[in-house]
Amino acid sequence: MPNRKRQEEEKMKRRSPKMVFLVMSVFLACVFLFSFPAFAKETKQKWEILNPEGVVKIEPMKINPHPSTLDGKTVMLRWNGKHNGDQFLNRVGELLKENVKDVRIIKSWEVAPETVDPIAGSHERSQEFARAIARFKPDIVIGAQSD
Amino acid sequence: MDQLNLEKLGIPTVTISSSEFISLAKDTALGNGAADFSVVVVPHPMGMIPQAEIRKKAETAFPEILKAATDWKPVAKLPPQTPVFPAGRFQLEGTIEEVNRFFFEKGLSLGLPVIPPTPERVAGMLKGTTRKPDDLLGMVPPRMGALTVELVAIHAAMAGCEPEYMPVLIAALEALLDPRANWRGLTTTTATSAVLVIVNGPVIYETGIASRQGAAGSGHHANASIGYAINLIADIVGGSKAPSPDKSLLGGPGDFVCWVFGENQLALPQGWDPYHVDRGFNKTDSTVTVMGVYPPVDNIDHWSTTPDEHVNWWAHLVTPLLSIGGPCWVSQMYQPHIVALGPEHAQLVSGAGWTKDRFRKAFWEKARIPFSAWPKGCPNVDLLVEKLGPVNADTPIPITLRFEELHVVVAGGAGKHSHFFPPFPGCFPVTRTIKK
Repeated sequence: MPNRKRQEEEKMKRRSPKMVFLVMSVFLACVFLFSFPAFAKETKQKWEILNPEGVVKIEPMKINPHPSTLDGKTVMLRWNGKHNGDQFLNRVGELLKENVKDVRIIKSWEVAPETVDPIAGSHERSQEFARAIARFKPDIVIGAQSD
Repeated sequence: MDQLNLEKLGIPTVTISSSEFISLAKDTALGNGAADFSVVVVPHPMGMIPQAEIRKKAETAFPEILKAATDWKPVAKLPPQTPVFPAGRFQLEGTIEEVNRFFFEKGLSLGLPVIPPTPERVAGMLKGTTRKPDDLLGMVPPRMGALTVELVAIHAAMAGCEPEYMPVLIAALEALLDPRANWRGLTTTTATSAVLVIVNGPVIYETGIASRQGAAGSGHHANASIGYAINLIADIVGGSKAPSPDKSLLGGPGDFVCWVFGENQLALPQGWDPYHVDRGFNKTDSTVTVMGVYPPVDNIDHWSTTPDEHVNWWAHLVTPLLSIGGPCWVSQMYQPHIVALGPEHAQLVSGAGWTKDRFRKAFWEKARIPFSAWPKGCPNVDLLVEKLGPVNADTPIPITLRFEELHVVVAGGAGKHSHFFPPFPGCFPVTRTIKK
């Protein structure tokens, strides 16, 4: 029996370093896990930021007063070439003739075909279009613009 | 825009706009100084519907059109004007992630991460240029945001540029602000368009602009950050945000980072000048060329062994319809188109003794389609007749009116690819010298 007890004690002694190592490992793993979470929490900080938006600089533009009546006036219908714009304006022209006394209708695509271009592209080209239309001295221009 | 130019000539106007495009019309007017204008809104769409339907829309809108023509008075006023320099400042508290979220929610980024433009970072960026921070480069359309050198530095900082990229970025922006570049059209269109930036000269090597393998792709810091900064400026200073006034139907990666590459001058065939020399500059000049383009067509030609065969490949791939030219929009036929030849294709062509001119002339003569291939309903056929002479169904229609409008650059690295960039309507290449 004493012999057996001694054997047990020796067995325990042999086990002890392993146990200590195991406990220490678990402890260190816990310390590591709790100290470094999967996603480190960033600290908030104060920032001074320059505004990237900039400011709008606009030269005011004068919009012209409209005539009080279209009776006896010249109306230019301006189509830029986008599909169906001419059909829409054709009907507007018919209705103007039916409803407005002595109105004169001019269709830009008939008198100035060079202005039929959905995307004038440059400002200069757009100005050219405007000058071409202005040559007909309309009292007002009704234009169909978009898709 | 055209209506506003009529107003400037003293002619009153009424604009008919479809409901999907009214905000673009209003933004365009405001950007040109008209806080208010006479507009009648018609339910979208107007195009691609039967004739009876469009006539019905006209009848419904007619009372309002008549009222707008005879009884319209401006109501809205322009916003108050503030000095363009220095840029405003604001304080934030948060993590970098929270700062980025703030930027995105306030419309101050494109959704990709940005580096916060602190005063220190912006001051560092300004060291890359001799230009004064209060120099005004111009107004960025369509919002007409005033673009100072300081504001360029702010966006360069946000995009992660190095200070030495500033001269390239400033030159590219000045080129885009040239009316010939049609930046407005490019940033408000329904099309999937993008800015193309071609860099030439010693600056390529001094600044680390990639010009060889994968130059316009990832892994090239200068190209990517310059391309990112340009689009940040277009969207934030220019206000071109989707869905309006940026009306891109689908959009694309070019809305985030535009195309930027240096010409591969080391791979230029003997006797072929670099692109900037074709544009009238000296070989020793450093230049940047910008142009509004549609996505490119990739010519994957692994098989040709002669220039004639190679040109035939081009002719099968590239047609005038790619750039919606010809009878639809004849004006497109005046615009330069960019042919970015891969070095191996360039060597194939030049190895047979072909000059650049001979190549583009052969390309131009081959890449045609008969008039009968055009969609029905295109306007402007009369103008085409005026430009090309009488046309019938079999008349081969070229891409451009002159072969000289095919602009050739040598781009990229090893491989059997070349790229064709059709121009966006109204966009012409604009080249600027890069000054430090």
